[in-house]
Amino acid sequence: MAAQVSFDQLDKDQIKSFQDFLLSYNKLSEICFTDCIYDFTSRSIKDSEDRCALNCMEKFLKMNQRISQRFQEFQMIANENLLAANQKAQGK
Amino acid sequence: MAQPQMSPAEQAKLQMMQDLEIEMMSDLYNRMTTACHKKCIPPKYGDAELGKGEMVCIDRCVAKYLDIHERIGKKLTAMSAADEDLKKKMSGG
Repeated sequence: MAAQVSFDQLDKDQIKSFQDFLLSYNKLSEICFTDCIYDFTSRSIKDSEDRCALNCMEKFLKMNQRISQRFQEFQMIANENLLAANQKAQGK
Repeated sequence: MAQPQMSPAEQAKLQMMQDLEIEMMSDLYNRMTTACHKKCIPPKYGDAELGKGEMVCIDRCVAKYLDIHERIGKKLTAMSAADEDLKKKMSGG
């Protein structure tokens, strides 16, 4: 019974993270399409457009990495401040 | 922080609050990512690497975004507290 519950939970978490992945994939496509594709006189994707879109994707991932790093740093500092404030309040 | 004596209802409430907080954080994160991408990465993708200027811009963008988020939160709390006070005074007097 307990195993069943945790299995369900795992499933839910997996679905959620898969959903997050798909959402960011869609957003990435939208951004890179709007930034890179301007020429609609031809059906085929030009080399420059292809290169731009792939660079756009890679850059976006690198940007995401950096933002999450900074975000974590800020959260850590905020947590430490909160902890210190709590200790101070309890000390009084 | 561990509280062994907690009714299931309280636990459910706590769980809900935690879920809500996580959801809010991820929403904040997504919005920040969109905003900083818009402001820091010019739509010219000659190179897949982040430029030095772009990196500095991202760092500052994250710091400023969170800073502003905090400031607005404080102001909002103060305003709603003042509002509550006023309401109490109006109904009491």
